[in-house]
Amino acid sequence: MEKANIKRKSSEIEEEEIKENVNKKIDTTEKEKINDENKIGKSQEISEEEKKEEHFVHDVYEAIAPHFSDTRYKPWPVVDKFLNDLQPGLIGIDVGCGNGKYLGINKNVYIIGSDRCSNLIKICKERGYESLVADNLSLPYRSDSFDFAISIAVIHHFTTPERRREAIEEILRVLKKGCKVLIFVWAFEQDRKKYDEQDVLIPWHIPKKKYLNKKSLNKKDYTESEKSEHLVKYERYYHLFKKGELDDLVDQIKIGKVVETGYDRDNWYVIAERI
Amino acid sequence: MRLITHNMLQCHVKGCTKDNFPLKLEEIEIEELEAEFNADFIKSMLNRLDWKALAQTTFSLGIAQLPEEMPEELSDEMLEQLHHILLEIDITSGRMVCQGCNHVYPIRNGIPNMLLTESEV
Repeated sequence: MEKANIKRKSSEIEEEEIKENVNKKIDTTEKEKINDENKIGKSQEISEEEKKEEHFVHDVYEAIAPHFSDTRYKPWPVVDKFLNDLQPGLIGIDVGCGNGKYLGINKNVYIIGSDRCSNLIKICKERGYESLVADNLSLPYRSDSFDFAISIAVIHHFTTPERRREAIEEILRVLKKGCKVLIFVWAFEQDRKKYDEQDVLIPWHIPKKKYLNKKSLNKKDYTESEKSEHLVKYERYYHLFKKGELDDLVDQIKIGKVVETGYDRDNWYVIAERI
Repeated sequence: MRLITHNMLQCHVKGCTKDNFPLKLEEIEIEELEAEFNADFIKSMLNRLDWKALAQTTFSLGIAQLPEEMPEELSDEMLEQLHHILLEIDITSGRMVCQGCNHVYPIRNGIPNMLLTESEV
């Protein structure tokens, strides 16, 4: 009983922290942006959204890659089924493949993984998977050329509706007509946890000794408490999708249509067809 | 990176629409892999790849001299050769150069880096 109470309390604190940090950190990002602009002039204009994604998504995954990877090994049943139902000899892509946990599910198809985070792609390569570093918003593939695609837990890291739509449209562009993409995003409506806002920063704690080398330790500015503790906190940006929101995004895209939609363990998913 | 992957890649620099495929492989290092031969899989892959680009690439690398057009009937010998080309050659380092805009995509430790800088997107 006592244990359960403590648990609940700590999760409440965590949520408070998330809310506070969203505002605080975004302020800091804004300041950093101004500083950077002064330093480098106006030649390299990076939008606020890109900056936010760089700071709260790309940089975080680069830092947490090995620890993140060790916690990601169980395939989700819907994704597993989508991949195993594919005919042998097809060719497809996993956009935002992370540590490559879906790249080896069906050995009878050819699948290329890509991720924005090079440290995660290194892990894929070490595991023998075909993979490359690429940005979801500008995929380096020929149009109308793939038989299938998956996008698992990726689109929720983009910070605006336009960028989320563009990311999906870019995947549809490289699919052949009539072919399908499975998209999973984190849901606002979760069984275990309630959120007040859709745009949140979710903490990720890394055991320092095991996962952080000296180089990455120096890279991060530690708070006094982090210096003495064995855990280091990073935060990732998420847009939590409300019911129907993912479907609406696909509906806005001329070259795509929703063919299946559903909810599975705190995530919304759609299967969209290239038209 | 295997040559199947290379065959799907295209330069994606903004405004680069001419001669953006295939990317020219330069200064490459190759490692040989072993893969199980499956004739149906190879046939299926060939229907999905751009044959001309594959022939051009394998010729320029000195790996094979494939006919200009994909033969209608593929002999067992040829399928085995294609199996080797497509699945058993791993490009571990080098670079890919766009013949349209000269953009260079590096390959290090077997991993192509296809990121562009902000101004190129």
